[in-house]
Amino acid sequence: MIVAALPLPAPGTILTASVAAAAASLWLLLPRGAERRLARWAGAALGAAALAGLVLTGRRLGGLGEEAVFLVVSLVAVISGAATVVSRSPVYAAIWFALALAGVAGVLLVLGAQFLGVATIVVYAGAILVMFLFVLMLAQPSGMAPYDRVSNEPLLAAVAGAVLLGLLSLVVGRLSAETSACCRLPSRATALKAADAAGGPPVAVAADPLAADHVARLGGELFGRHLLAVEVAGVLLLVALVGSIAIVSRHGDPSGELAAPGGTRR
Amino acid sequence: MNPLALLQNALVVGAVLFALGLVGMLARRNLIVMFLSAELMLQGVSVSLVAWSRFHGDWGGQVLVIFVLTVAACEAAIALVLVLQAFARTGRLDAAAWQALREDNLARSVDRELPAVETVPLTFPRLTPAGVRPAADEDELLQREHV
Repeated sequence: MIVAALPLPAPGTILTASVAAAAASLWLLLPRGAERRLARWAGAALGAAALAGLVLTGRRLGGLGEEAVFLVVSLVAVISGAATVVSRSPVYAAIWFALALAGVAGVLLVLGAQFLGVATIVVYAGAILVMFLFVLMLAQPSGMAPYDRVSNEPLLAAVAGAVLLGLLSLVVGRLSAETSACCRLPSRATALKAADAAGGPPVAVAADPLAADHVARLGGELFGRHLLAVEVAGVLLLVALVGSIAIVSRHGDPSGELAAPGGTRR
Repeated sequence: MNPLALLQNALVVGAVLFALGLVGMLARRNLIVMFLSAELMLQGVSVSLVAWSRFHGDWGGQVLVIFVLTVAACEAAIALVLVLQAFARTGRLDAAAWQALREDNLARSVDRELPAVETVPLTFPRLTPAGVRPAADEDELLQREHV
């Protein structure tokens, strides 16, 4: 690769510099009262530099097409996530979050989780985000609110995020094939080969996330091994439904203007 | 494809999303943007779980992400109802409107004076006149007035 031929500093150095640049970029981009165009441009430039550093320290996936697809969808997710956090208008934040969800769904598809990629789009962008937008339209005062134009301690928040990201990427960078593969189940081919050698049926076979009947296998796992958890999740959904209705109908509209005529009020 | 490389890249993406959500949760003051940041953190966790699921060849991570989706839906329903109630009481979506709930020994956060938002006057595009104004025929104008 061309990148490997260039005299680059050590990956740790690039990673540290890009994490610091990301923190500075977030600090510059977070809303702090006055509109400063220069700070915004500097923040965007620093953010681009941080992303370039993170991309440089990323591992090679092998195939050029897969690398390109993963790069595009992860950049969409990360850039839209940053825009969600730093947008002044909450409506724009919600729209950027929808784009971040699209990027995350792309990452999930690259990782072989087809059902989850589609479910993220349907459930999050289709239902939860629309609910957010409804509440925004119900509760947004006209004009840009003053609390949208300031942040709580932007410097400390950016430093906290940088420390977390630095520690996590340090741990991720130290993962090696030996340490992380301890609990890895053998793939189907390996297990079949071993079973042939041993003359018996394979005991544990790794699930193949790229199988054609991916959704069927995931459903089998979900409704087989995790059936009790599915029931509990159903109860949780019911409780959330009843609870949200109870909260609204008990404390809603102190003036009583919106109460239905003849409705019982406690 | 190199499975370890894919795992590491996806974990870094998840970590970046989680850190972004953390910064938003800490720094922003709008309640709805804070919840969006929390959802962003959940997305980062989901990416990490699916990456480990792919690496280990196990469905556990993906099943866990399905439950994360479920809990996120419940959380959004309850939280948005609470946000609406808070808005009905204070008229603001401001987290600092509820700082009376803080500990006794913490100082009250005071808002700085903000500069006024510069209002840009609305300017609409004007069409440039095209063509040639026809020459008025005086006789015809006179006749029209009579009609």
